[in-house]
Amino acid sequence: MADIAIATPSRYPGKSRALWMIASRRWPAIAAVLGLVVIWEIITAGFHVPSYMAPSPVEVLAAFRDNGQTLWSNVWPTVFEALLGFFFGNLVAIVVAVWFVHSPTAERAFYPVAVFMHTVPIIALAPILVLLFGNGFTPKIIIAALICFFPTLVNMVRGLRAVSPAALDLMRVLSAKKSEIFWKLRLPSSLPFLFAALKIAATTCVIGAIVAEWIGSSFGLGALIIEATYNFRSSLLYATVLVAALLAVLLFSIVSLAEARLIRWKSPVVG
Amino acid sequence: MNQLAVELTRQAGAHPAISVENLDVVFGAGGKGVTALAGVNVTIPTGGLVTMLGPSGCGKSTLLRALADLVPAAAGEISIFGRSPRLAREARDFAFVFQDATLLPWRSAIDNVRLPLEVGGGAPKHADPAELLDLVGLKGREKALPEELSGGMRQRVAIARALVTRPRILLMDEPFGALDEITRDKLNEELLRIWQETGTTIVFVTHSIPEAVFLGQKVLVLAANPGRVREYVPVELPFPRRLKVRDTLEFVQITAHLRQLLEEC
Repeated sequence: MADIAIATPSRYPGKSRALWMIASRRWPAIAAVLGLVVIWEIITAGFHVPSYMAPSPVEVLAAFRDNGQTLWSNVWPTVFEALLGFFFGNLVAIVVAVWFVHSPTAERAFYPVAVFMHTVPIIALAPILVLLFGNGFTPKIIIAALICFFPTLVNMVRGLRAVSPAALDLMRVLSAKKSEIFWKLRLPSSLPFLFAALKIAATTCVIGAIVAEWIGSSFGLGALIIEATYNFRSSLLYATVLVAALLAVLLFSIVSLAEARLIRWKSPVVG
Repeated sequence: MNQLAVELTRQAGAHPAISVENLDVVFGAGGKGVTALAGVNVTIPTGGLVTMLGPSGCGKSTLLRALADLVPAAAGEISIFGRSPRLAREARDFAFVFQDATLLPWRSAIDNVRLPLEVGGGAPKHADPAELLDLVGLKGREKALPEELSGGMRQRVAIARALVTRPRILLMDEPFGALDEITRDKLNEELLRIWQETGTTIVFVTHSIPEAVFLGQKVLVLAANPGRVREYVPVELPFPRRLKVRDTLEFVQITAHLRQLLEEC
């Protein structure tokens, strides 16, 4: 055959070599972070910055040691809210996107509503939801869900429509039913778009949960942030913020891993 | 031979594979409609290989799409083995090969070939997808994703996919138009081999004069504005044809004639 296949690089040339390659590619980033932490330590120590204003890295580490129990017990409510918000927000967005794609009337009616909801600042919405649903988990989950909803809706609608006319012609020649076109063509080709949105949602759902916990909550990382701020426990505040950031990074990594597993083909989407 | 087989043979004998009578195709509704095809008449015999040639905008792809029930007829009649295009489509009488391979990028080569068996209620009869990939020269690449295959290989997969339902007619819309000349020559030879091995009726749209002459038993030349039949040119070259046939005097005479026809269009 005259045709030449594009060479496929083998995925795992050896675990240790892969690790070494990651380390050699990432060392500038690791060095930069370590350098910044050292500068931070030098500034706080050298200029005698009071601890309540800005704690030194060593003090933040100490806060992890002294408040481990507090941090641990407050991280779980936030994880719970963020995950449930992520799940329901995206689920509803996907269902609504499918509805929009199949019913132009529904899209014309409700897309402006979705845009309007998106323009309302989430921080302004939080007190309203607390008044409506009380001080439990419900308003926090709803806010985490709302913050996920819009990007996923927009991307999913785009993804479900990103089917080439030729592919639709093919399905028509094959006498495919509408449901078959959906499951075998539209849904798989929307996956890269969906994951682009899910990666955004993985970090914003944590923001949603924390913002909701700011409004008169007695638990969660958000409540801990407010409490630490008002009591000038700055090192605890910094530790809490770090935990929140790590949580977002963890969720983002899980979604990215799932994406790499599920989407093995190259797509024209910029994720 | 049982009763059904006798009946089928009689029916097949009674109708040509494709017959088109006074076909008009109009795009856009009302007075502003653009006439893409006007008064097209053509008959394609069972087992024949007809190529369609014409300047761009002459409606050759439109005619093919009308046969495939992708474009409605404004007037006139299309009959595929005596049936309307819609019924023929539902009976899987024909398969379509597009200019782009139109493979689903998340499916491996063999899963792409299987697609026609999974949708539209499956097919009354089908071929073995692995054997078809062998037939188009892709043995050993069954598990490859489309992005791991070259343009020529992707088009081979598309041909295998079209053949999986054992269609009686293969409608091909400039299938090799995007390929380089060497790959195109190779696929042209292989298409002739597949045609002779399977006995499928083939309608092949192209904008290449040598390709039209090399493949076709007859070349249907269309003219533009509005799209209509200019001439139905027989190609009296014996089969099996090899690429060398393009150097013969007969071949050159036919291509010269066609080139002149196209210039007059």
